[in-house]
Amino acid sequence: MSDNEGKAVQIVMIEDDAGHARLIEKNIRRAGVNNDIMAFANGTEALAFLFGQNGSGECSSRKHLLVLLDLNLPDMTGVSILEKIKANVHTKRTPVVVLTTTDDEREIQRCYDLGANVYITKPVDYENFANAIRQLGLFFSVIQVPETK
Amino acid sequence: MSLNSPGLLRATYAFAAAALLTLIVLVAVSFWLLQKTTNSTEEVLRAREQRTVLARLLSTVQDAETGQRGYLITGEERYLAPYRDAIKEVAPRLDDVREKFLGDSEAEANVRKIADAIADKLKELALTVELKQESKSDEAMAIVRSDRGKADMDLIRRLVSSQGDAVEGHLTDSIRDQESNAVLARWFTVGAGVVILLAAIGAAATILRYTRELLGARSEMEFLNTGLETRVKERTADLQRANDEIQRFAYIVSHDLRAPLVNVMGYTAELEAGLGTLTALCDDPKLDELASGVAARAAIREDLPESIGFIRTSTQKMDGLIKAILKLSREGQRVLRPEAVDLQEFFESAVAAVQHRVSEAGGEVEIVRPMPTIESDRLALEQVFGNLIDNAVKYTASDRKLRLSIRQRPSQWGAVLIEIEDNGRGIAAEDGERVFDLFRRAGVQDKQGEGIGLAHVRTLVRRLGGEIIMNSELGKGTTFRVMLPRKLPEKRNER
Repeated sequence: MSDNEGKAVQIVMIEDDAGHARLIEKNIRRAGVNNDIMAFANGTEALAFLFGQNGSGECSSRKHLLVLLDLNLPDMTGVSILEKIKANVHTKRTPVVVLTTTDDEREIQRCYDLGANVYITKPVDYENFANAIRQLGLFFSVIQVPETK
Repeated sequence: MSLNSPGLLRATYAFAAAALLTLIVLVAVSFWLLQKTTNSTEEVLRAREQRTVLARLLSTVQDAETGQRGYLITGEERYLAPYRDAIKEVAPRLDDVREKFLGDSEAEANVRKIADAIADKLKELALTVELKQESKSDEAMAIVRSDRGKADMDLIRRLVSSQGDAVEGHLTDSIRDQESNAVLARWFTVGAGVVILLAAIGAAATILRYTRELLGARSEMEFLNTGLETRVKERTADLQRANDEIQRFAYIVSHDLRAPLVNVMGYTAELEAGLGTLTALCDDPKLDELASGVAARAAIREDLPESIGFIRTSTQKMDGLIKAILKLSREGQRVLRPEAVDLQEFFESAVAAVQHRVSEAGGEVEIVRPMPTIESDRLALEQVFGNLIDNAVKYTASDRKLRLSIRQRPSQWGAVLIEIEDNGRGIAAEDGERVFDLFRRAGVQDKQGEGIGLAHVRTLVRRLGGEIIMNSELGKGTTFRVMLPRKLPEKRNER
């Protein structure tokens, strides 16, 4: 992933399944992406990181972030996190990649309606899964991530 | 409900019967009274006639006497003319009297007495007139003076008068009879009228009550009917909800089951990758220098690949099963699109898809005409019959060639019954229900399969508003009967 004015893009991975998180990380690395990956196993911690203790989101300002979001989380739904990210003035331009097992048509539509940039259904057999993540890594290596306000 | 229609009907009939009976009695009695009145009237007429003839007889006899007296006194011939006329008339008058009193024995006796008295009188008259004509006036006068004529006349008068009284009595009786008949008829008519009126009122009241109860029952029934429809709707909605929940449950469960499976498969792959590195290490002769070198090589070359192999096959199997559940659940959530499907064409293309497999094995497939056109979801039908035909082609008996027959059977209630009969290996009776269960198979396991085909078929057929039944005999063949509605029920897609 290209560095914008010397500032590295941070990947924020919100995924409750530790195994999946590790597999995702491994396969992204295999694609040659060496950016910092912040892994969060639940929504609360992830929101604390993104919006700070006061919830204002100022702590995320002037950063280059990319969010990798699972919808099935133990403490909240990924959709509500997506909603918060896209509603906050500081994080609204942050690209969000929804990576989840759900392939329900309405859920996909809803995510795009809320401003998700990419929606990917996790393939459920490993070969495809690894393949998809590697391609996602390749995708990460070429996209431009804007600076947050 | 207190509606007792047989009782009410009986009451109505009873009222009608009573009215009819009264009417018949009224007519009969009226007729009888009329007859009686007619009789009385005849009696009255007859009495009058009797009175008249008696009066005429008496007057004729008196005329004769008057003529005789005139002649006797004057001796003039001209007085004899009334006498003679009168004498001539007496006999017919007497006959008249006899005739009028005919049949009344008492009166007849009286009439005979009157006739005798008149005969006597006439003799006396004739005798005196003869004597006078023979110029024996004295003798004639002597007879007159003897009062014989007067006595005769008095007797005649008395007899006639008494007979007249009798007639008068009859007359009075007859008139009284007539009056009483009229009174009786009047009262009876009034009575019968009242009875008929009461019966009519009773019948009308019964019919009114019956109609009211009928109307009440009808509105109650309408109410119940509406209630029933609402209840059925509620129950259907409940069932639909429960079904949807099960579908969602199956969907969520199978999704969540697959997430850990991805890990198992993913890390198995990682292990394999790692094992690759280790295998390369095995080739290093330096390994033999280590104490645990041999054991390590055995583990790397045999134990680890074997374990990984088992993990792989098991996870793949589990993945297949979860996929099957997902497929079923997704099928249940798919919106059905009804369209007109000509089953003749439909089966021809379904058979064409397996034709080469059938021909290779020397089998035969027959589609019996005619086939109906139904309105249903084509994709679901393709899956249902595709599965059944595929099964027939797949599970043939080893000792004979496939003979598959697809035909329509007579059915009821706007349904279409399709029969698919094969001469395959058949299914044992104890497995009859099992084959429709998910992941269950029957018979010799010599063909690939997950055991979801028939489970899927049954789910689909039921979604289409139909039903499937199987008749099978092990070693003989299997017949599937698929009952489908001619028109897809509209509520199937309501969610």
